[in-house]
Amino acid sequence: MTTVFSRRAGASLALAALAAAILPRGAGASARNANDAGSFVSTLAQDAIDQLSAPNLSEGERDARFRKLFAEGFDVPLIARFVLGRYWRQASEAERAEYLRLFDELVVQTYARRFNEFNTARLRVLSVSRPNEDNDVIVAVEGTVAGKPPVRLDVRVRQGSSAYKVIDVSIEGVSMAVTQRDEFSSVIQRGGGRIEALLASLRDKVGAR
Amino acid sequence: MSSETTLAGPRRLLGFLARGCAILALGALAACSTANAPAGDAAANDPIEPFNRYIFEVNRFGDEFMGKPLATLYRQTVPDPARNSVANAVSNLRLPWTAVNDVLQGQFGRAGDALARFGLNSTFGVLGLFDMAKENGLPHHDEDFGQTLATWGFGGDPYLMLPIFGPSSPRDTVGLVADRFLDPVTVIALDGDIFSMGNAFTWTRTGVAFVSGRERTLEGIAELERGQDYYAAIRSAYRQRRASDIRNQDSDATIGPRFRFGVDTD
Repeated sequence: MTTVFSRRAGASLALAALAAAILPRGAGASARNANDAGSFVSTLAQDAIDQLSAPNLSEGERDARFRKLFAEGFDVPLIARFVLGRYWRQASEAERAEYLRLFDELVVQTYARRFNEFNTARLRVLSVSRPNEDNDVIVAVEGTVAGKPPVRLDVRVRQGSSAYKVIDVSIEGVSMAVTQRDEFSSVIQRGGGRIEALLASLRDKVGAR
Repeated sequence: MSSETTLAGPRRLLGFLARGCAILALGALAACSTANAPAGDAAANDPIEPFNRYIFEVNRFGDEFMGKPLATLYRQTVPDPARNSVANAVSNLRLPWTAVNDVLQGQFGRAGDALARFGLNSTFGVLGLFDMAKENGLPHHDEDFGQTLATWGFGGDPYLMLPIFGPSSPRDTVGLVADRFLDPVTVIALDGDIFSMGNAFTWTRTGVAFVSGRERTLEGIAELERGQDYYAAIRSAYRQRRASDIRNQDSDATIGPRFRFGVDTD
């Protein structure tokens, strides 16, 4: 039986790690090696879980907190550009601006609302890879939600000039950024190669709250 | 279940050979279709996309009315530990076939691990309900014949959406057929009668594996369904997952980033 995800795949943990986007507290510009990338992910993932799964959080407050965490812990503009792939170059200035805005909104809306699902999540950093030529490292994380088998996540962290930023999360070998890029590219192609087709789809999605 | 014990051995062997030939023939088919793959979109490699999308919609309908409701009911009625045990038992039964594939891939150490797991979990783990092996340093792994074909050099293109079975490719379709008919547990259960449809154990096993597997993927797949293009997301995720399974790599942390996270410059 061939399934897309292994039986261990749990989306809620994927979200937890996505939210492993984190306040760069402590992990500053001074020290940056593999171990720091690991602690960046682990301490701050917990931060995200603590902050966002707090009880009695209004929807607006949750969105606002998530937006802040996401902006600080993730390199959103870089992810957005990667996800648009080769169409970034062919997009006009206006299209790019609207796309970046919609992408940001899409992620906030998609993930911020579901945080109460994983207040029992625990993340444990297993190992950290050596950096590649772009100074990206892969942080292997094991996520556990009570009563479920653990899920393995690969969190891709880029060590920029001033801070660590998460740029991708893979669950059981499936990269969220690559999947979304393939998806967006399909929407554009089916829309006759026009970026407007994607923008319309995103507007639709983001508008229908 | 055959009472003719004298015939059972040869019959089983014949059945095995017949299946082997059928699979080789399908393999040749897969090789042809790979070589002659029409030049479609290079990235998507999905030359019959409109047809695939149609099958996908039919499958999706079936999933809405059968797959999801059954998986949800299963989750609501069976407690967590029991569901974990069911999943353990299902994956335990796959281990002999995993070991065969490990050997075919030249991974003798992994074949030994799979057999040791099978022995330990089938006995001390009470018919596979408890994963004793994992606690003793033998983690689970899963191999299928599609992965074996991949290690022999067969590519995973073009994309193919199968009715009921879902995302696939010519290579993985051949793999599915082999997985169904050559799995030692199935061969033994069917007692060599390859075309027997009435084997209760095999059907129960298939049904339980399906419901258990669907329950485990409820959130993961729902995540993809919420996106902009469900079909394209499934296609992408399936391919990435297969590539990862073929690499036998639990995490990229050991080797570092697999691809460059690059963006087009202006």
